[in-house]
Amino acid sequence: MQLQQLIRTLDTFWEREGCVIVQPYDMEMGAGTFHPSTFFGALGPKPSRVAYVQPSRRPTDGRYGENPLRMQRYYQYQVLLKPAPDDVQQRYLESLRACGLTLEDHDLRFVQDDWESPTLGAWGLGWEVWMDSLEVTQFTYFQQVGSLDLDPISCEITYGLERITMFAQGIADVYHLTYGPGATYGELHLPSEREGSAYNFEHADVELHQELFERYEKDAKRLLEADLLMPAYEQLLKCSHTFNLLDARGAISQSDRPRFILRIRTLAKGCAELYLERQHHEKR
Amino acid sequence: MRSAKDAQGSRLKAQGRTAVAFSLQPGALSKTADLLFEIGTEELPAAYLPDLIEQLGAETRALLEAHHLPFRTVQSFGTPRRLVLIARGLAGTQRKPGEEVRGPSKQVAYDGAGKPTKALVGFLRAQSGALGQVKIVASEKGEYVYLVKPPTAIPTATILPALLPQLVGKLRAPKTMRWDASGVRFARPIRWMFASYNSRHIRFCLAGATLFNPKSDQFFDEAKIGVEIRLGIWSGATTRIGRPQALREVRVASIPAYFQTIERAGLLLDQVERQRRIQQLVTREARRIGGIVAPEMLSHGLMEEVTFLTESPVALTGTFDSKYLALPREVLLASMAKYQRVFAIEARGKLLPRFVAILEGPPRKPAAVRQIIERILNARLADSLMFWTEDRRHLPLEQMAAALSGVTFHERIGSMADKAERVHTLSAVLEKAWQLSREEQKDLRRACQLAKADLVSTLVKEFPTLQGVIGKYYARHSREPQEVAEAIEEHYLPIGDRLPKTLIGSALAVLDKYDTLASYFAQGIVPTGDQDPFGLRRAAQGIVEVGWKVHRPLPLERFFGARSSTDPFRTAPQEERAATGERIRRYILERLYTFEWPKPAPSRDIIEAVLASPCDDLVDAMDRIVSLKRLDGDPRLLKAAKVIERTCNILKPAEPRKREVDPARFQEPLEQRLWALYSSKKEEIERLATGKSYAEATRLFGEVFYQPLHEFFDRVMVNVPDESLQQNRLALMQAINTLYTDRIADLSKLTVLQH
Repeated sequence: MQLQQLIRTLDTFWEREGCVIVQPYDMEMGAGTFHPSTFFGALGPKPSRVAYVQPSRRPTDGRYGENPLRMQRYYQYQVLLKPAPDDVQQRYLESLRACGLTLEDHDLRFVQDDWESPTLGAWGLGWEVWMDSLEVTQFTYFQQVGSLDLDPISCEITYGLERITMFAQGIADVYHLTYGPGATYGELHLPSEREGSAYNFEHADVELHQELFERYEKDAKRLLEADLLMPAYEQLLKCSHTFNLLDARGAISQSDRPRFILRIRTLAKGCAELYLERQHHEKR
Repeated sequence: MRSAKDAQGSRLKAQGRTAVAFSLQPGALSKTADLLFEIGTEELPAAYLPDLIEQLGAETRALLEAHHLPFRTVQSFGTPRRLVLIARGLAGTQRKPGEEVRGPSKQVAYDGAGKPTKALVGFLRAQSGALGQVKIVASEKGEYVYLVKPPTAIPTATILPALLPQLVGKLRAPKTMRWDASGVRFARPIRWMFASYNSRHIRFCLAGATLFNPKSDQFFDEAKIGVEIRLGIWSGATTRIGRPQALREVRVASIPAYFQTIERAGLLLDQVERQRRIQQLVTREARRIGGIVAPEMLSHGLMEEVTFLTESPVALTGTFDSKYLALPREVLLASMAKYQRVFAIEARGKLLPRFVAILEGPPRKPAAVRQIIERILNARLADSLMFWTEDRRHLPLEQMAAALSGVTFHERIGSMADKAERVHTLSAVLEKAWQLSREEQKDLRRACQLAKADLVSTLVKEFPTLQGVIGKYYARHSREPQEVAEAIEEHYLPIGDRLPKTLIGSALAVLDKYDTLASYFAQGIVPTGDQDPFGLRRAAQGIVEVGWKVHRPLPLERFFGARSSTDPFRTAPQEERAATGERIRRYILERLYTFEWPKPAPSRDIIEAVLASPCDDLVDAMDRIVSLKRLDGDPRLLKAAKVIERTCNILKPAEPRKREVDPARFQEPLEQRLWALYSSKKEEIERLATGKSYAEATRLFGEVFYQPLHEFFDRVMVNVPDESLQQNRLALMQAINTLYTDRIADLSKLTVLQH
């Protein structure tokens, strides 16, 4: 199964489960959790079912295209189910079967991993799903988002699309995967992976990004004041990615790190509160 | 801890109640049966399981006892997907003894006309009692109403539906979660429950706080039944078995049928048995490929972790690319154990490019699974090799140390570079106290500078537990002396029962820990109760352990003297500084109470006696403790203790104003005699003490003073009206007392004196 077919298969599967299939958010972000459909979708009482692909940026994970499993930019397939159904583990396993995997042939394990995003003020309890010792999915019952307690509880399923395709195609190196007709993942992504790694680790302008962080943060605060939720949240996304980039450049010392994280988390909390306040008004 | 507290709570509640004896009818207790309770969950964290299993057993025993339900045995088991309790020989009937519950006073309970008041009616309603069961009892405090509750006999089967949810509620985990509208909290979602008593299903519901009224044994708040009942998690007649990808529901008719189902599924419920099986599997596989399991795998806790990651373990052997054997052994082991949870194999002390993985149930295509695990391990090792290569481009280690100013030790205390500098300053103390050679001094100073340098390496960022180990390798690479490299690794010890083996490593271990303690204490961060987030208790304990092993002086006051020349003490007011120094010294010395002494271990009072004397050198204090312990049972120790006790008692109300004894003021021959003995033996006792012959010094002290002092007290009055005479006699007593207590121990603390 080609990677693009896998995406389509998951879309179809989760559509049948009642999910709205939304599109990737058009901004740089570290994970599908940052997509507004998850960040805001998990907040408040309103039920929500949504699924989407989210290209994810992890500047420090770049390996110049030389590691068959680690990349600075890759695809997550994200599902958010609120409230979490009782048989959510079974639904997830079904989705893997739909992708053409014969699960009985593998060693499948749910290994404790209490997921946390300190910048989003979000955490949950759950697992890494291991397939023959490779983590193919992150499975989390959210407990908090934007530093706020959640009720009802959402379940977040984050598939590593490349890794699952590797299983489906029996291929060991991500760059040799077939993405679509006549195109390998390497053809589409290897040059940008090499250049992206060089940029993240060597060439990104540290001073520029330090300044950008300050200005994005200031802007986010201003926009929150102005009651412009999505524009404020988008500035937060920019802050977050800028922070990750500075981190890859080695420009964030251990002592600065907690302060940077706290600054982003404060913005996240502001956005979460504003969102809930609006929900409250809408209900009235 | 918890169960003890609970037991106390229920005891408190029981106050004001008197148990009334009732006689059992013969044979009434004879009917017993077994109880099985399975809590089915989504995968529980391996790290939580041992404790959850333990709690399940302990809480069950406590709960059954508290509810007057005798049983023969209670056992608890656990796998990632289930916690199972089996109580054998559980009584079929709950027999509650009758009791009398005190109510309001008679005055309050009845009005002028002798009719029951609201207070009495309320009391009876709360206690589910009737007016006919009330009696009046006179006591010192007046007349009170008592409700006489008759003994009851309730079938166990009707109580269990209320007890089992309570049991689940008592299980604690480090982190818990909610997952549905029931509001129930647990370590992971509970997806099914199966309970059977006497092979009959017990149906009950686990629900959030709204439905559960812990005050009565009643489970449902009746007003809410029907509204919220669907929110609970119900027990059923089925269990679920199979690998996670093929979990299937199976009906279970009876308790024997349950165990049959489990066994047929190849599921090892008993964690002890499961661990034994894994051990066998791994050993057998290792032998097959000509090796043994790398011994560190056991200390990594991998065996236990894997036991709680599977319920039907099978083994699978694989290979990795031998080029990765170029990595440090510790890095290979960490990659395999921590990330991949596979066992490393060695032959003749050298790692083989092989591993043994433990899988959940037999895979249908083992070759394919093996291939994937191998690929992933290779990719992971490739990453480690990349870090290893990358780091070495930033050597020598000195260059890495320069980057420590960017690594925080603690926000309020400063960077790791600051710490390295402070430890460097402290090293002067040990150079002197341990009389280090010029070469040793040089190595120690160098090790102080480089100890933390590996914290900036990419390998330590990837494998934080390898701090120090990586430093050792990089020090060797930087052509640092072997002693420096070893010390860098050893300074994090003790870990488990590993202690530094080298002199420089021991020195650095002590200095680093002392600095850590002093730095936190200076900020007012002091361990309290079981709260010790920065591991300060362990640091102090480490100083004691390393000190005892290396057996060289550890002058605590000089340590503080050196430490207080650096921040934050430098700028602190003198008084505050001294107080903190004393607090640190005390804190370290107090670890002697929990230290694992060589057997036979000294009792608490011996340690107390030594600590009541001046103790600057920690190791010397330990020597004194051990010497006194060796004198245990020697009559001369008791004699010495009596001398200290008697002099101590006379000095307690008032110490003499000056210390000098004036022989010209003596009046009695017994005074003269004591003084003559003191003068003639003083030097010898001092010499013995200085030479650390504490046992001999003690024996001599007891021999010399015991008899004459007794006679002195029999015939001579110390507290006489003539003040200068009294002062002189007190000074004599003090001279004798401090001759011993200033050097060895305040023996008046010994409990042997009380017998």
